[in-house]
Formats: sequence, C-alpha cells, structure tokens
Amino acid sequence: MPHGQILIDLVEAVHGGGGAAMAAARRAVRESLGDDAFVDACATIASFSAVVKIADGAGIPLEDYKEKATRELRRELAINSFQS
Amino acid sequence: MEIGVAGEMLPMRESLAREVEIAWGRLAQPGTWWTGAERLAIAGEARRAQDCGLCQRRKAALSPYIVEGEHDGAADLAPAVVEAVHRLVTDAGRITERWIQSLLTGGEMPALEETGYVEIVGVIAMITALDVLHQALGLPLRDLPAPAAGSPNRRRPEGAKRNLAWVSTLAPEDVGPDDPNPYPVHGDKNIHRGLSLVPQEVFNFFDLDVELYLQDHEIRDFAHEFRAISHAQIELIAGRTSALNGCYY
Repeated sequence: MPHGQILIDLVEAVHGGGGAAMAAARRAVRESLGDDAFVDACATIASFSAVVKIADGAGIPLEDYKEKATRELRRELAINSFQS
Repeated sequence: MEIGVAGEMLPMRESLAREVEIAWGRLAQPGTWWTGAERLAIAGEARRAQDCGLCQRRKAALSPYIVEGEHDGAADLAPAVVEAVHRLVTDAGRITERWIQSLLTGGEMPALEETGYVEIVGVIAMITALDVLHQALGLPLRDLPAPAAGSPNRRRPEGAKRNLAWVSTLAPEDVGPDDPNPYPVHGDKNIHRGLSLVPQEVFNFFDLDVELYLQDHEIRDFAHEFRAISHAQIELIAGRTSALNGCYY
C-alpha cells in the first residue's frame, strides 16, 4: 500500500496521539502525498469516526452480502464475539 | 477553495466545504424531535462527555454496565439524554440492545422516546464528524452556532418497524408519501437505514458524509478515483479508524 504506514500514523495520532505526534503525522502526510491528499485523509477519518456512532447506536446488522463475503475472516478474528 | 490552518493555506474541495457549512447550519436548526437549542445542547454535551469521570471509569471497566454513578453532565438535559450522549461518544462499541431498551422504557430515569434517541444518534454522528475533521486538520474546535428558532415537526414515519436493528427503521418499501425519502439519494444499505426512523437525519448526516468519504455509487467504482487518495488508501484509513473505534459493522 503506497504510504500506508504514514496514513495509519495519521489515524492513530488523531485517535489518541499527543500534539507532537499529531504534528509529525500531519507533516508526513502533507510532504509525502500532498495537501489535497492530506485533507481527504482527514475527511475519511472524520467520516469513519462518525459512522460508527450510527452503526453502534442503532444496532444495525451486517448486510447479507457482507456477511457472506467476510464469514471466514470474521471467524478467524473472532469478531462475532462482539455485540455490535 | 482554501482554508487557513496554523498560518498556512490548505486546499479544500468546494463541495466538502459547502456540506460542512450546511451541516453546521443543520445542527442549529429545529430537528424532527428536538429544537435547535436542544440539538446544540446535545452537541455541546458530546464535547463535555470526553472529560466525564464516570465515562472514564466505565471505559476502563471490563463492562460499563457494572459501574454506577452520575455523569458530569449539563443540568438542562434530561438524565436519559445525558446517558445516551455520553455512552455514544465515549463507549459506543459496547452499546447493547438491552441498554437502548432501558433508555426507552425508563426505570432508573424517565424514558426517552425512540424517535428522540435516534435523532440524538444523528446529532452525535454529525458533531463527531465535524469535530474530528477539525481535529485532524489541526484546527481548533469551532464554536457551536446560535440556535435557530422554530419547533420540531414530530412526524414519525407510519411505516417504521423494529425488524432490522435495535431501533425501529423505515424500509424503502415502507416510505410513505409524506416521509422524506433519502434512499434514492444515498442508497439503502443498513447504515443508511440506521437513522431512518427520523428520515431527515439520514439526509443531515449523509449529505455531509458523502463528501467526507464517497458517494454510495463511488465506493465500488474501482475504475475511477474520486479523491486525492486512492480507494485502497481510503479503505485502509477507514478500516484502522473503525478498529480504533471498536466498530466491526
């Protein structure tokens, strides 16, 4: 994945990193991928930080097609043990 | 267009900037079940929940349901509203159907209407998206706007049923002629149906979300890229963010 670790570092800095980690993660994404990519990465983090509130707050199930496509992966990860 | 962040200018898509502004305005407008002032109070409570001592003790506990106490919450919100807001903000991944039903049936505190609860979920999703966007970009949190006057219309879709999720939802085939219908615009996956007991909340959140993430039809269009990062990079970010939030939907 091109620049995958840099993007992961940004996600993790936003979710619990301190000021220095945030600054370093932002700088790395901007220098490696550019400012447009940085803004779109931030927007994606915002989206998926919010969608979880709907999924967990309403208790929606997986769609059938997702359930079938991910059955083996979820079994390996024991994700079905989680409530939502 | 460009936005200023710490003395530097960053590019922002016009459509994203527009929907961010619309979202802030919608937070302050009367909703379907809460006034604009109440919606902003819920959004403000969401920010305060981050520092709530009870929420921190519950978050650290093996189960949040064994920790008793009172939230560090605003006095002008009903206890069930404060409980709903704080749990959604600080520990949504461990919400259970039983917890939702306890809020809706009352008991230790006066009951919360199911419609009101679903609108709270929508407001929390909106303020979370807006605040995390600012936080990630390096911007300070924006002051909440002034509430707009007006009353909620309190219209519950007649066709809503509790047959999909832990709350009632409105299936596409049950949308009535007087119901706002978000499905032709945003799709009808379960995530869209989650807020559909209050259809306007589906518009409110997903009008913003399709600019933060992707339009429904763009998600699996791997022949084209719609952002400055690739589909694969977007999904990597999405997966890691969801995992950190304890969401496996």
